[in-house]
Amino acid sequence: MNIIVIALLVFGLFFFLAGAIGIMRMPDFYSRLHPAGKLDTLATLAMVMGLALYNLNQITLGTILVSIKMFLIVFFVSLASPTATHTIVDAGMRAGLRHWTKKKKRG
Amino acid sequence: MRILAFIVVCLTGAFLLYGTSEFPDWGDPNSPASLHVAAYYIEKTYEETHAPNFVTAVVTDYRGFDTMFETAVIFTAGIGCFLLLRDFRGKKEHYYHHIPTGVILHIKDEKKSLTIGKEFGYMDKEWVPPDLINKTVCRILIPFIQIYALYVVAHGDYSPGGGFQGGVIFGSSLILLAISYDLKTLVKRVSERLLGIFAALGVLIYAGTGVLCLVMGGNFLDYGVLAPLFPGMADHIRALGMLVVEIGVGIAVMAVMTIIYINIVSEGRHDEGL
Repeated sequence: MNIIVIALLVFGLFFFLAGAIGIMRMPDFYSRLHPAGKLDTLATLAMVMGLALYNLNQITLGTILVSIKMFLIVFFVSLASPTATHTIVDAGMRAGLRHWTKKKKRG
Repeated sequence: MRILAFIVVCLTGAFLLYGTSEFPDWGDPNSPASLHVAAYYIEKTYEETHAPNFVTAVVTDYRGFDTMFETAVIFTAGIGCFLLLRDFRGKKEHYYHHIPTGVILHIKDEKKSLTIGKEFGYMDKEWVPPDLINKTVCRILIPFIQIYALYVVAHGDYSPGGGFQGGVIFGSSLILLAISYDLKTLVKRVSERLLGIFAALGVLIYAGTGVLCLVMGGNFLDYGVLAPLFPGMADHIRALGMLVVEIGVGIAVMAVMTIIYINIVSEGRHDEGL
């Protein structure tokens, strides 16, 4: 049990780290939103799943309820976070921000 | 220049760190903050009020006057925003869009207007068609946000939370409705008059509870004397009084948040904006 919990937590931490590096290193606004949006869904899912399993060490009604509440958090985050990313990209497109291309053109 | 800035930042940080070394330890019983009334609150709050959350007990019972005037300050902020920004002059020109074709109509005659319905929709200079994804997700999320806000208000005396927090969460759900659809959807469902009445009603509930205590023969906001009104709950009466007051605070904060948002985004016209 503990091994699964540790594996899930490390998996989530790895994705958080990769996402943080991605936000720093990506070249422009839209591609930076890509890791920022991924982080909130996958890494949060993995970490909360690990925490919920850890919480189920002793299975009683109380711990099961707490685990269900944790999964509710994941559910709402995974609904709200991609929508927020979508809306930010939408706002960028409407404001006329051009996306990054490899060739450096003038203007 | 950057080196100079770096040195200044480091010096400031060092001074701040040096300052923190003088702080009392975390949870130190001899620190100035916990020497005077804190011990009394910790020892006596549960006996006197039966509210497990000491913070709520201190804020709405021991210091009820303070919180009442805080609510009045929030009410004043809403009224001030309304008085400063509200603009009752109509616009001279109207724009509409024809929904089936997307053609934009520009009507320059002030007196003429089109009925809004399935055929014509509003149009203004910042109009963007509401996004289907946003609308759907917000429609799913808003009821949950509102239930959570009611939970935060109702459990103010049992867990962290209370009227201010719950009211802000509820107000933010209304603001989310205005952002995901448009401002007119919100104004049509929650009218300006209703919001004004709610803002005043919240303060009235708080002050009315205090006056009710006076009428029942106690001091202002002394919830203990309300016991005859709630038969069988005499030992929880102070916690119940706190709950009533928290509901008042929640209603006032919710209404004022929405009033401020509507007035600021539409420059007081209540017709366009985010």
